[in-house]
This record gives sequence, structure tokens and C-alpha cells, in this order.
Amino acid sequence: MIVLLDFSLTEISRVAWRIAVAESLREQADLAEALRCHRQKIVERWVKYALSSYQSPDFFLREGDPFANPIGGAMRQAFDRLLPLLAQKPERLEFSEILRQFVQIRAVQGLVPSQALAPIYAVKHILRDILAADKERAALVANLYDFDFAVDIAALAAFDMYMESRERLYATRLAELKSGRHILTDGGCPSKTLHPVGDDG
Amino acid sequence: MALPKLEELSRSVAEDPSMATGSVPTREWMDIPVVFKSGNYAYPAKKDKVEYLNSQKGLSFPNARVWSPEEDDWKLPENWKEIILNGLKERLDKFRSLKIFMDCCVRCGACADKCHFFLGTGDPKNMPVLRAELLRSVYRNDFTLAGKLLGKMAGGREMTVGVLKEWFMYAYQCTECRRCSVFCPYGIDTAEITMMLRELLHTVGIGINWILEPASNSNRTGNHMGLQPHTFKDNVEFLVDDVERLTGRRPNITFNRKGAEILFITPSADVFAEPGLYTAMGYLILFEALGLDYTWSTYASEGGNFGLFTNNEMMKKLNAKMYAEAERLKVRYIIGGECGHMWRVLHQYMDTMNGPADFLEVPKSPITGTVFNNAASTKMIHITEFTADLIKNGKLKLDKSRNSHIKATWHDSCNTARAMGLMDEPRYVLDHVVDWVEMPENTIREQTFCCGSGTGLNTDEIMELRMRAGLPRANAVKHVHDKHGVNMLACVCAIDRATLTSLMNYWNPDVRVCGLSELVGNAIVLDGETREELDDGLRTL
Ligand code: SF4
Ligand code: SF4
Repeated sequence: MIVLLDFSLTEISRVAWRIAVAESLREQADLAEALRCHRQKIVERWVKYALSSYQSPDFFLREGDPFANPIGGAMRQAFDRLLPLLAQKPERLEFSEILRQFVQIRAVQGLVPSQALAPIYAVKHILRDILAADKERAALVANLYDFDFAVDIAALAAFDMYMESRERLYATRLAELKSGRHILTDGGCPSKTLHPVGDDG
Repeated sequence: MALPKLEELSRSVAEDPSMATGSVPTREWMDIPVVFKSGNYAYPAKKDKVEYLNSQKGLSFPNARVWSPEEDDWKLPENWKEIILNGLKERLDKFRSLKIFMDCCVRCGACADKCHFFLGTGDPKNMPVLRAELLRSVYRNDFTLAGKLLGKMAGGREMTVGVLKEWFMYAYQCTECRRCSVFCPYGIDTAEITMMLRELLHTVGIGINWILEPASNSNRTGNHMGLQPHTFKDNVEFLVDDVERLTGRRPNITFNRKGAEILFITPSADVFAEPGLYTAMGYLILFEALGLDYTWSTYASEGGNFGLFTNNEMMKKLNAKMYAEAERLKVRYIIGGECGHMWRVLHQYMDTMNGPADFLEVPKSPITGTVFNNAASTKMIHITEFTADLIKNGKLKLDKSRNSHIKATWHDSCNTARAMGLMDEPRYVLDHVVDWVEMPENTIREQTFCCGSGTGLNTDEIMELRMRAGLPRANAVKHVHDKHGVNMLACVCAIDRATLTSLMNYWNPDVRVCGLSELVGNAIVLDGETREELDDGLRTL
């Protein structure tokens, strides 16, 4: 009897689990579909938000050529590639690759780290706003836990990269100093070591 | 954006007023004061360097003192405003181009988005049109009738300490690269406006060390590094040893040799710092392959001229040694090595400043007989023109496979491309020595993007600024690296070689930087050589 009950409980939980998985897969599919459908609009607003952190963003928004407009181009590319991934099971490494150029740029623009990376979080709010306005999909708003989680993972990956970028910046500075070029301005001409101080030849 | 949470997000991170200040409402540009903090300015010139320069005949670098841009008081002379306005008046009278540039801008905005400093920062004052406006507003206020009557309404503003500080900030966020001028329908050259700003700043004692110390070194020993003759000679000899070790042939070199046919002048960085050393080894191999009758000079031991980044008189004085040495040694003409701004000075100013060099002959290649009429007035040709001509006439034995470890791309240095039009020759040479690809069209030739650290901004304390200014260049390199596997960025400029190395370290660490002559030296097959397999060309340890 006990064995039987145990069996049926297991059975029930299995079924429940299957239903839950199916449900979550369906939701995931719905969200993916919603992101596909609104991709352009979301990315546009996301980019616009990120670029609003510059004093004069009009050109960055307007110009589509990524070589004429490296900041706008890098943002558009990063967010456009990131968005569909946010409806899937997140892979940290993939996030890092996609966000690299964006983070490297923000890491050398005199911003504090929170300023530099805040735009990544913006998509949570933008997506909610856009879904809420879409009658067919408004219900999805209640269920963005996984999406938010994916954004968090992306943001964490970005923080690691931000730090890595800053470290690389200092390493670059150090490498330049070590290359001997600083001797250019320290008056420490190598030949000076051969002469008494003050002898300027 | 009407999303309350988003606005909160912006506010929560945007309190610190920095260059990119969150969505804080933008004010009139004239009303935003500059803030100096560690990392956004280059260190002021050391007092003793300024004193030394000021003591030199024909030079004026007044108000030597210890000061810091971060402090309120810049210790300016009491009558600083009078000095600046008189200085401006004097220059408006002297340089007609300045007066025209002040008057003829129609603010069409064609230049606005063409500057790498703007593209890397989004700071409107880095739009060339606004950079010029920093000076033009003062010009309007004090030198035009409309400005005198209407002041701010006519776009004029009074010269204040705040304005002066703004000049310092933005005259040193311009590399005088002239990209903007390519797009201006009136040919307004913002680089020349920056030059004026820097000149004026020097009249009240505002200048940076990374420029004034090399300039003073150059005035003292002939080169930026401050190398004395014997050290310069030793360094070149070390390179001769290296070439011998790698190829089995020992280049024959001479110094200060009277009666040599050709005087060779190159930036001192070529004989002093990596990766310039490999470029210099390339010259040695090339000249050895030809048996060229040439000499190095320990007096004209610098092609570069940091005077260009200070004022007219300093530039003229530092440049003078080239002709003086050529005359003393009685050579026929001069070949110049891989440098950027040296060619700007040479091509645009040398003849009028220190010429005519009628004691020299129009350069004629002793190997091919080609006469370089393009250099009929300056009597000085670029090593790349010389090399391209040799290749065209089949005078070099080249083995391109010696560069098979390299996939290159070409960076047109601002000065050689825009100031002297050297664009096809290097490409022709590349075709014969290495496998290479172009970067996107709007980032090369006349439209090339600056390395971000030219005009003496290649100092390490502003590394972050340099990285953002170099973004447009690095971005194009990234593209060819990702798409074509490019692993080498080649150029003909000593400053570029050093600064692009740092730029690549940050943005594209898989890409190294080299001079064109290094690739040529790698590929040359010398008679009687005993060269082994060199995995990394002249860089093989
Ligand atoms: S000269 Fe170059 S750095 Fe200066 S404003 Fe023009 S584009 Fe910018
Ligand atoms: S392109 Fe020339 S005329 Fe137009 S705003 Fe710039 S400097 Fe002025």
C-alpha cells in the first residue's frame, strides 16, 4: 500500500513536473516570439536610452555606419544580439562575447562603473512597457522572472568584463612605461648615466 | 523617456558630473565649465624645462612656475588677459588664414561628427566646429563690430579664466589631424585653430610636459630622447649587430660623413624603442642591399619636431638643423625615415621657414635614375617613395614568404596621408612584401582616423582619453581582424607605432604594430646572406 502510494505520488509529481516544464517551455516560446516581434522597437529604445548618457547623442542615434559611428554601432550590435538570448537559458560566455565592445567602450569614458553598465538593466523596463502596450501579450508581463534573471547574468558578465577592461588599461599604461619611452621626459637619457649629474653635454 | 523606473535608473547612477553625465539636461555649451581631474589632462610642463626654453635665443616660453590644472589658481601673470588678446590680434594680422577661418564658418555642421575625439566621447566641445568656436567666440566679442555691440547675442563672449581653462582642455583634445578639414566645404582647418590656441596658451605659461621636455631635449642634443651623439651612434651600432646576427651580413654605416651622397634623417624613436628598432633594422638592410652612399647624422638625429605642437618659432628652430646639417656635410639631398609630423613640417613649412635649400640638388635615385620632381623645392624624399621606386624598377630581391606569419592592414597616418598625400606608394610596397587587406573605406586614405595620441598627446597619464580618442581607428582594425584574421597593423609614423601599440593592447590585443620598412627588411634577400628560418622575421630573438 505504502509502496503503491509512494509510486502514485512519484507519478503525480512527474506529471506535474512535465506540465510545469511544458508550461515554462511554452512561456519561453511565447516570450521568444514576443521578442522577435518587437525586436526592432525594443532595441531602438534600448539604444536610445543607453545613448542618452552622452551629452550630444543625436548623431550616435542617427548614423547607421558602424565605422563612422563606433559608439552607436557597437551598442546597436550588442543589444540586438543580446536580446534573443535573454529568452533562452543564458550562457555566460556568450554574453561576454556579445557585450565585450560595449563594455570596453564604457570602461574608458570617464564613467563610474554603475553609470557605465546601467544601460544593460534598462531592457527590463523597456520590455515591460512594450509588452503592456501589446494586448495579445500583456499577460507575459507577470511572468518575466526568467528574463530578468538572464539580464542579471548578462550584467554580471559585464561587470567582470568591466574590471578586466580597467585592468587591461592599467597594464597598457604599464607596458608603455616599461617600453622605455618614459625616459623621454624624465631627463634620464641613458647617456646621462655616463656623466656626472648636471653635465648636459 | 517616460518610464519612471528608467528615469530612476538614470538618476541613481548619474550624479557624478563627468564627461558623459547620464541624462542630466544639457545646458548651453558655453555655460558648462570644464572640470580637471586626474586622468583627463596631461601634466603641465616642468618649471626648469620652461625656464630653459625661455632662455634660448629667439624663443619665448614665459611664466615658468609650478602649477596644477586641478587647482583654482593657475598662477597666471596679472595682465594675462591683455597678453592673450594682444597675442590674438597679432596673429590675426600675421596669419590671413586665421582671420578667414574665424569669419567664414557657416556652421553647416559637416565637420561636427568627423572628429575621433567627438566620436569617442560624445562631448559636443569635441566637435570641430565647437572647438573652433572656443576661440571664435572671443574673436567675435573683441574683434568684430557685431560682437562688440551685441556680445553674447552675436555669439561673442568675454575672455575669462574659465574660457582660458576650456581652451587648455580642448586644445589638448585635438590631435591636429585635419580629418575635419577634409569635410569642410570652406576648407577650414581646425588643426590650425588648435595650433593658435596652443600658441596663445604658451604666451601665459600654459603648456604640457610631454611636449616641452622633448622639445627642450631636441634643442639641446638634437633629438627628443636627449641622446647625446655617442649614445645615438651606439644605438645604431647595436642594430647593426642585430642585423648581422639575423642575416649574416653586417651593414656598413657611417656618421657625419662629409661628401656622402645622401643624408638620412629619421625619428630618434627608430633607434631607441620597440617596435621602431625593427623599422630601423629594415632601413639598414635596405641601404645595405643597395650599397647606398649615405650617412647618419648625430646632430640632425631627430626627424620629429615637437616644436610643431608649441609655436611657430620653436618649430622653425628645431627644423633648421636638417638643412644646416645637409649643408655642412655637403650631401646632395636628404632621405627621411618613417615619421608623421616630421613630414607635415617638411611638406608644409620647411621651405618657407628655413629654405630655400639651393645648396642641395633635386633628389635623384642613384639606383634607378628616377628624379623626384615632387621634392624639387624641399630636396627631401620619403623612404617609402624611394622604396616604391626601387621595387617598380625591379631593383630589390624580395621574398614575400618571409612575411607569411603576418596578415597586415594599413594605417594611413594623418600627417603622411592628409598633409603630404603619401597614400599609393605604401600600398604598392605592401603588395610586394606581405599579404594585406584594407580597412573600411571611410577610415582610410584622406579619411583616415588618427591614432588618438598625436601632437604630443602620447603620454601615459591620459591613457584613458587616448583609448577613447583612438576608438574609431581601433574599431576599424577590429573589423579586419575579426573578418580577415589581420594580426599586424602597419604604418609609417614613429608616434603611431608607439601609440597604436598601446591602442591595440587595449582594443585588439591580437594585433601587433610595425613600420613599413620592417616588412621590407623582412622580405629583402641580401646577396651572401646566411639567414636562417626566422619565425618572427626581424623580431626573432
Ligand atoms: S584636427 Fe582632428 S582632432 Fe582636431 S578637431 Fe579636427 S578632426 Fe578633431
Ligand atoms: S564644416 Fe566648415 S563651415 Fe561647416 S561647421 Fe565645420 S568648420 Fe564651419
